[in-house]
Amino acid sequence: MAAIGLLAKEAADRELLGLMLGELGHRAEGAGRLEEALEFARERGTKAFLLVDGGGADAESLTRELIRAFPLLPIVVAMKVRDASRAVALMRVGAAEVVAPPWTPEDLKASVSKGLRFQGTAISVASAAPLSRSPIWYALAVGLFLAAGLGVASLKRVDANRAAAAARVDRWELPVRHPAGLAFDGKSLWLVEWFTQSFYALSPNDTSVQVVRHLTAETPVAAAFTAEAMWTVSADGTVIRRMRDDKMTPLARYAKAAPNCAGLAFDGLYLWTLDARAKVLRKHLVDRELSVIATYKWRGSKPAGLVFDGRSLWTLDAADRRLVRYALDRPEEPVDGIPLSEYAEGDFIPTGVSWDGVRFWTVGEARDGRSPARLVRHKEEAR
Amino acid sequence: MTRAPYLVPALLRFPGSSARQDSWGRLLKITAGGAELSTAARLAKGEVLLAQFELGGEKLLIRARVHHAGDDDDGQRLAELVWVDMVERRRLARVLLEVLAKS
Repeated sequence: MAAIGLLAKEAADRELLGLMLGELGHRAEGAGRLEEALEFARERGTKAFLLVDGGGADAESLTRELIRAFPLLPIVVAMKVRDASRAVALMRVGAAEVVAPPWTPEDLKASVSKGLRFQGTAISVASAAPLSRSPIWYALAVGLFLAAGLGVASLKRVDANRAAAAARVDRWELPVRHPAGLAFDGKSLWLVEWFTQSFYALSPNDTSVQVVRHLTAETPVAAAFTAEAMWTVSADGTVIRRMRDDKMTPLARYAKAAPNCAGLAFDGLYLWTLDARAKVLRKHLVDRELSVIATYKWRGSKPAGLVFDGRSLWTLDAADRRLVRYALDRPEEPVDGIPLSEYAEGDFIPTGVSWDGVRFWTVGEARDGRSPARLVRHKEEAR
Repeated sequence: MTRAPYLVPALLRFPGSSARQDSWGRLLKITAGGAELSTAARLAKGEVLLAQFELGGEKLLIRARVHHAGDDDDGQRLAELVWVDMVERRRLARVLLEVLAKS
């Protein structure tokens, strides 16, 4: 049995709630004013408070006062008028539970019981396991366990094959000569070709050309994909948001939003552009103006591409022939890099980079400008 | 798992077609994928609702589906919610990271 401080302005409410608390096995200490309730609490060792909101009493201010005097005691509020927003506001100021009218012993019991066991919300980024599991779930789990046990040997063999495949580097000659950028839409690689003002969708399996889109009015230099849209940048710095349809229908144009653009990337929240002349990385809010919310100095030699791999930003440095990684929260400082030995001979100059979820892809323009461009699928990097 | 010093209150709103009054509850657990909710509202599995709450100083309004609902020992409803709004879910994940980084 717990002593509960009962604060209600109207005697009828005190009587009703006092009886209910008594039925639940608690001892109610009724008070009509805050001072009385505080006095009772000090003298009789109250374990919790029950306040009535309404009928001339403001439970919000009373809750604040009670918490100031007894910060560890739970407070349950009984509302005279049902109002969900008010209930949440009361809980925000410190009420452990709020009971809606009409008051019933069952509701009161649940709320007081919960109030006495008051503790905080558990917070985690990882998803919690479901509360309930069906028998089918358990059967599947057992089946999966057995299958996993039987499959260990074959998995080892697959692992060995996979390690060999991961270390492999593939190169393809392309039917274009002047690539400017590369992007991956989840299924295909999109090659940006400034000379023919075209986009080529390539199969990541054999780099066969699946789709060609010519733009007659623009010279594209970079592209990136989000779940809903394709973003492109033209040579004059205009950023265009397009539908991911057959016609790449423009949805919005942001004039001169990305001048001298060497690369474009989307990190899930912000759009990033790499300015080749100013050598800066710009972070854009995807709003009506594509506002620049931050600018970071880029400390490489010759910027040629930009990509987001799901964790970090990577820039392509054509002069140093390196991919350089930057953390999203500190993009002014390189974290580490990957040398691109595939370009060591100097016959090709890397002009674009993309990430397919597993590996980096780069595209290079022949130094003489007359030979076909080269596409490289790089080996898997330990991440 | 980190625990807040209080239970996060949530305002529960329902689609107009369900003809239900707004209600409220306490979030016992919050993750980027969903939440556990204690409420007096009689939630049923499969029901869709809007949960409005504050975390780390940010107001969040996330559409959720009741993945599981049952009575707890006190006779109130204990529901497992799954966030179905991917945009708000991403925002919640960012807020959770910020809150956890500060704790």
